[in-house]
Amino acid sequence: MKMKAARENTLRYTFVALALLSVAALLSASGQAQAQAPLSAEEARFIEFGKEIFKSKAVCQFCHKWDASGDQGYGGNALSLRATKLTPEQMTEVVKCGRPATGMPYHDRFAYTDKRCYGYTREQMGDDMPPAGNDFLSAREVDAVVKYLFAKDVGHGPATYQDCIDFWGTDTRQCEPMKQ
Amino acid sequence: MSNKSLAGAFAGSLLVATALTPLRAADMTHERALNPQREPQNWILHHGNYQGHRFSALKEINTDTVKNMRLAYTVALSGLQSGGRYAFGNLEATPIVEDGMMYVPDGWGSVYAIDVTAGKKGTIKWKMDPGTDRAWAGDVACCGVNNRGVALWKDKVISIALDGRMFAINKATGEVIWERKVADPALGETLTVAPLVVRDLAIVGAAGGEFGIRGYIEATDLNTGKAAWRTYTIPGAGEPGNETWKDGKERWKHGGGSIWETATYDPESDTFYQGIGNAGPDYDIAYRPGDNKWAASVLAISANDGKIKWGFQYTPQDPYDYDEISEHPIINAKVNGEDRKLVVHAARNGFFYALDRTNGSFIAGKQYVDRLTWTTGLDPKTGRPLNYDPNSDIQIYTPGSHGMRGQAAGRTCPTNSGGKNWEPTAYNPELGPLYIPSIEGCNIIETVEQKDFADQGGTIKPRERFTGGSTKNSERRYGSLKAVDPTTGETKANLRLTYPNYSGALATAGNLVFLGHYDGTVSAYDAKTLQEVWSFNIGTGINAPLITYAVNGKQYIAVLAGSAMREVVLGSAPELRNNATASMLFVFTL
Repeated sequence: MKMKAARENTLRYTFVALALLSVAALLSASGQAQAQAPLSAEEARFIEFGKEIFKSKAVCQFCHKWDASGDQGYGGNALSLRATKLTPEQMTEVVKCGRPATGMPYHDRFAYTDKRCYGYTREQMGDDMPPAGNDFLSAREVDAVVKYLFAKDVGHGPATYQDCIDFWGTDTRQCEPMKQ
Repeated sequence: MSNKSLAGAFAGSLLVATALTPLRAADMTHERALNPQREPQNWILHHGNYQGHRFSALKEINTDTVKNMRLAYTVALSGLQSGGRYAFGNLEATPIVEDGMMYVPDGWGSVYAIDVTAGKKGTIKWKMDPGTDRAWAGDVACCGVNNRGVALWKDKVISIALDGRMFAINKATGEVIWERKVADPALGETLTVAPLVVRDLAIVGAAGGEFGIRGYIEATDLNTGKAAWRTYTIPGAGEPGNETWKDGKERWKHGGGSIWETATYDPESDTFYQGIGNAGPDYDIAYRPGDNKWAASVLAISANDGKIKWGFQYTPQDPYDYDEISEHPIINAKVNGEDRKLVVHAARNGFFYALDRTNGSFIAGKQYVDRLTWTTGLDPKTGRPLNYDPNSDIQIYTPGSHGMRGQAAGRTCPTNSGGKNWEPTAYNPELGPLYIPSIEGCNIIETVEQKDFADQGGTIKPRERFTGGSTKNSERRYGSLKAVDPTTGETKANLRLTYPNYSGALATAGNLVFLGHYDGTVSAYDAKTLQEVWSFNIGTGINAPLITYAVNGKQYIAVLAGSAMREVVLGSAPELRNNATASMLFVFTL
């Protein structure tokens, strides 16, 4: 019991520390968004690749919603990634390792087989072990989905009609309610 | 009539029916729908018969011969496209078979007419693709891209699509004769239920219990293609039951009560028995004080005019998302020496119920799942949960078994999925048991305070999720097949399954029970002992019920395979996680 409590405290501290660190990160991310240089063709392709990971391969949108604004229901109480305070490095770790004691799944096939994730193994995680994603992601795919999120969602305000069209295209009624 | 003479009668009728099989399928009439036992070579109704038995009198495949059963052929279907929140569509439909033609839909609503007369291959004669707006519909589907089947009416196939439309299709050519909008995805409504056709009415209801809909059942007049009647499952102001929504803010207008599995129908009284889904929002009961009728209930409804005759609520104020949409088999049986007209239900909340179908009174109830923690039992007189508090507007049930605002998450058994979900039971009238395929295990419910809808002064817009929290799953689930006495709920035989069952059961006069499994295994069990007597693994998960039919006197077993690849199963079953889904028909024979 004691060991479990200690572990929970360590985890809690880790996440509090992450959250604090991220306040500064959010400010700097917003700053970056304002002063962005045009994307190279390769960067644009890579972000588009990340969108497909978010939309279809890892289906992040099932829980986080297409605009990454967060949602509830089957899959868990998913946080808004538009308002997240995580840095790209921290988000990469969360995508790879999931969030302990929540529904956020891990996507690194070898997560918790050694101590690469928050310094814990599966055995040490016990009941706090996050679920596995339905599809594992390669390092390149994780990189792409994080780049996509920081390019399109993180630090941005509420999604616009144009954001919706960019995500879903024009061959669906999906964005109609946002026209009003 | 003894079992022997009954079996003889069935065998005789099979011979007669097979000999008389017409070259061209006859029109589907009400007379035929009332008497599917006259044509056991066919599977003409969603549940096999109006009574919801999923029982076939065919017995060429039986406990002695099943060991020789083999794969006859497969047919690849489409429907795997992504849309909305889903990476692919899946298959949950019960096939309809009429005189060597099979009619099945895929998850996006395409309907296939497959000629199965050859016995060695299936030939797709036509395919009707409704052109579903997949992003629009798939974004407000709670739990996958689903379509549970089609129905026959006269010379037409009646189908639905996830985006809320109903279609009347020329059975011979696949041409759409008319279509109409029943449910509206703009309001978070979708259609996934196989239509119940009674005379010239097609009865369906809207899904969307996680999107703040007000549920309803609607009949379409098939002669005109127009609505005949609509009955809301959540009563409006002034209607009986509306007083059980005690928030004072008209939150019943987004109270859930969705429909997503086909009702059973009693021709004697022209009554259908419709299971009703969860209340909305699912997990924040402080938002909806009161019993919240008719969520998590069964309604007995007049098919002719949609009037509610009676209702029975299984889990008042349901804080667990225990939709009770699944089938309600109709059984006549002796209870304590007295002939009773029963309607029974293996509920998602983990109890089996037998009700008097003439008035909804409780006759018997018993736990059928291995673990049930949310209440201590059922009141033997009323059937209400024992720790239901009639003097409280907030039901605690077992403390800690569900989420509450500002409190730690609750842990409930069975899981919010059940118990038994939509996947149907089967009833063997010759042997007596109801076969219940179940999901065994527990999970966690976390409540988040639900915000109001925009039309009630809040911020939630139509099509947004409206669940008041969420579930967490860390424990591995398993399944079971139980043979239950439908007059008492007593479990007579029990088989533990490796995987929670998401396919549903089929019972046959060959004294067999069939199930499909998440790892792709198709199994036949001895109906008396539940021992597995045959199995074959198709290599991809099964989420649809099996059926049986005969062509040219030869019996076949058919099942659609198109797993939804649910995280609640795969997340704790690493041996399955690299399997791929499919969109296939599998057919077996001796």
